[in-house]
Amino acid sequence: MSDTKTSLDSVVSIVYITPENAVFEEKNHFLTLQLTTTKEDGTSETANYDRVFLHRSFPYDHPEAYISVQDGDKNEIGMIAEIGQFPDSTASLLRGELARKYYSPVITAIHSVKDRYGYAYLHVATDSGEMDITLRDASRSMARVDERRVIITDIDGNRYDIPDITKLDRKSFRRIELYL
Amino acid sequence: MLHENWYFDPAKPDTVPAILHDILDKKGILCDDIRLVCKTDINRDLVRCDNYILATDEEIILLSGSSSAVENAGRNLLPGRRARTQFQELSWDVLPLQDIVECKMEEQLSSGRITAKMESGVYELVANLSNTYKDDAYQAVKFLNQLKKEKKITPAEESKTKQRADQFCPKCGNRYVDAERKICPKCLDRGKILSRIGVFLGKYKLSIAAVAATLILSSALGIIAPYVSSGFYYDEVLNDSGSFYGQLLLVLGIVIGTKLLNLVVGMINSIVSSTVAAKLVYDLKTVIFNSIERLSLSFFTNKQTGGLMTQVNRDASTIYWFFCDGLPYFLINIVQILIIVVIMLIMNPLLTLLSLVTVPLVFVLIKKLFSHMDALHSRRYNRSRRMNAILNDALSGIRVVKAFAKEKEEVSRFNRSSVAVADAERKSSRFSTVAFPGLNLLLYVSNIVILGVGGWMVIDGKLSYGTLMTFIAYMNMVYSPMFFFADMTYMAADSMNAMNRLIEIMDAKADVEERPDAIRLPHPEGRVEFRDVEFSYEKNRKIIDGVSFEIEPGRVIGIVGHTGAGKSTLANLLIRLYDTAAGGIYIDGINVRDIAFEDLRKNIAIVSQETYLFMGTILDNIKYANPDATEEEVLRASKAAGAHDFIIKLPDAYATQIGVGYKDLSGGERQRISIARAILRNPKILILDEATAAMDTQTERKIQTALEKLIVGRTTIMIAHRLSTLRDADKLIVIENGKMPEFGTHLELLKKKGIYHKLYKLQLEAMKNIGIEE
Repeated sequence: MSDTKTSLDSVVSIVYITPENAVFEEKNHFLTLQLTTTKEDGTSETANYDRVFLHRSFPYDHPEAYISVQDGDKNEIGMIAEIGQFPDSTASLLRGELARKYYSPVITAIHSVKDRYGYAYLHVATDSGEMDITLRDASRSMARVDERRVIITDIDGNRYDIPDITKLDRKSFRRIELYL
Repeated sequence: MLHENWYFDPAKPDTVPAILHDILDKKGILCDDIRLVCKTDINRDLVRCDNYILATDEEIILLSGSSSAVENAGRNLLPGRRARTQFQELSWDVLPLQDIVECKMEEQLSSGRITAKMESGVYELVANLSNTYKDDAYQAVKFLNQLKKEKKITPAEESKTKQRADQFCPKCGNRYVDAERKICPKCLDRGKILSRIGVFLGKYKLSIAAVAATLILSSALGIIAPYVSSGFYYDEVLNDSGSFYGQLLLVLGIVIGTKLLNLVVGMINSIVSSTVAAKLVYDLKTVIFNSIERLSLSFFTNKQTGGLMTQVNRDASTIYWFFCDGLPYFLINIVQILIIVVIMLIMNPLLTLLSLVTVPLVFVLIKKLFSHMDALHSRRYNRSRRMNAILNDALSGIRVVKAFAKEKEEVSRFNRSSVAVADAERKSSRFSTVAFPGLNLLLYVSNIVILGVGGWMVIDGKLSYGTLMTFIAYMNMVYSPMFFFADMTYMAADSMNAMNRLIEIMDAKADVEERPDAIRLPHPEGRVEFRDVEFSYEKNRKIIDGVSFEIEPGRVIGIVGHTGAGKSTLANLLIRLYDTAAGGIYIDGINVRDIAFEDLRKNIAIVSQETYLFMGTILDNIKYANPDATEEEVLRASKAAGAHDFIIKLPDAYATQIGVGYKDLSGGERQRISIARAILRNPKILILDEATAAMDTQTERKIQTALEKLIVGRTTIMIAHRLSTLRDADKLIVIENGKMPEFGTHLELLKKKGIYHKLYKLQLEAMKNIGIEE
């Protein structure tokens, strides 16, 4: 395996954004970045980005690792290997930005499911309060990302997260079990 | 209130939601000054609440709060009167409009935000919103920028912005799942669906009446039979005090007669109903297929149409079942049960009550059992579907599996799934082996109770033996359809779904429709013009943005650009697979929207990167576009397309069957057949959309030569990413991100040193690298 790594390293390089070369700041709910890069001739260059956007490469498996940092046109500036590398203050900024970007209510209980003519109406409890969700074709709207996690996408394209279906109460689970 | 979602009407100040009047009053802002109100649902700290973006001529107000219902003070509250809602302010921020450079809507995964770039260079967050409010936000951003630049708001389609309230079901307050149809599945009443589908049955009134009559007759015979064979037999024939004592032959005659009659009636019933069924299913399928073919391409790219035809087939039979089996059987049984209960009551009220007291219990029990069975079944079904998918996946990808030596992993993946299926099967069959005998036992218990109580009554002389026997027979007749009733509720729900899907397809509107007064253009000259064309597949995401060019008749134009730049979309727009969002496309100066479909598509042929060959012979496929072509014309067209050479090598030559399960052609061969198809059509306008992309260089050269001959006298649009393919183009268009930054001849574009120059240099270098210089 290490052979692959070294051979690929020489072909493709990943620009890592680290505490050493980057300063993240938050201005008015927006993330900014100052990135210093060292060129081949040894001189260094500092770039300022007044808005940067974070994007998870492996959103479920590694929510805090391999975070792509992009500019406004979705061009990748570099990658954060692991948020934990950064000092707590920066890490919490990054986590806050991710929370905003990946904002989706977490479903904690399912009170009722009404399936009518191919559309399903769910009344659920979430971490943002009680909600009514409309789904087009319930089975297709509930995607199982792994053994435990289920992502529900409603008719408007809003996502709802059930991080662990085994932790739902029995009644809630049985209400959606059929569709999974 | 969801209804108050989006307002805009500068002429009518009362469009500012009433709930905000108090607070605006307090802040000293007149409703008349409000130019725009847009509601969103997430505040700037990601908390769900009611946010309003309000705009006056000078500033944007960001108001966040929650509307809560407050009851009107004490005794004044009339019963049934709705509670008044009140707005509780959480925050109030103001952005001066003059400090804003531009507002922007940024989409995130499941939410979005409106941001404003300020003169000072910093960004301000205007609002957060869930995807539900996405379209509103885009509108709001558009209007905010307009207000900033032009000092006023001019909605392009005023009606659209004002229709917001119509998008919600007045009954339940939910948004219509399809704003165009304005039908809320949650509140849709069954009668409406039934009556719409019932129309299909109208044609078969007589047959259905016959089916109903036979059903009624057989149920009447069903009621008589137990009486003749038990009550009447024991009390009147076998009993020496009976009036038909000893007349065994007569009774046997009657029994045999009713049986025979029942048999005949049953046969008539099945013959008639199966005939109607076949016809009805055929009708339904035809209607659905017609509706589907009529629809525009956009309907099919919508993901919910996956497996459409399988669904159609299944739905048609489900609907048939409901109308021809389920519903009549249900009605007959209800009537039969009512009659039986009346007869039983007349015979002996006490026994009747005793025997029927368990009916509700049994019914509820059966329903519970069925729902559990259903869950078990669908789990089994889902698991076995998954197993089949894995099997299919591994087998279709067998080359990859073997290439990466993953056989073992695939086997274990299959095994895991197979075990899960076996487990589900075991559970479901175990349940049914326990549950159903248990239920029968319960029925048996009530039989025993009646036998006991009834027997005691017979001994006491209060009841005749025959009556008791008849009674038990009737009682079993009441219980036996319980299984059907319990099942019926699920089947009925299923059929309703099927019917709704059917209606949905029938109601779906084609986005691209032919005008009733369409202009006939049988022989166009072939002048093509694009004027400020804009288009987007998805709302708010422009794929084509302001493209304009003109092609003289008979000229060749090449379209260059990266993959996904929107090149093929231009071709799709020209043949009206989709309609432009703004601007227009003209052939000989006539908007394509006004040209009759037949003429439009007859005069334009497209050879695209995706080829589709239908089941049938190669000859059928080439002649698809022009069924009247002679054999010689077909041969010529194939030769021109470079297809003849490989076709003639096949054992059956042009009669070779292709399509599913037949001869598999390579990508290049399929492409050549589709080129032959286009050539045979002899169109005035020819679109070659990466037509030679799937071929090796040698074959491409051959076809290029053929195409050179072909394009003479035809307006040709050539789309390619390999620039060498476009050598013959008179003019070139460069498409990038839906825009058209460059337009001109090869030399002009090279001189411009822009995108084309870059592409050309890149490809030239690639050629040099392998030792070819032009």
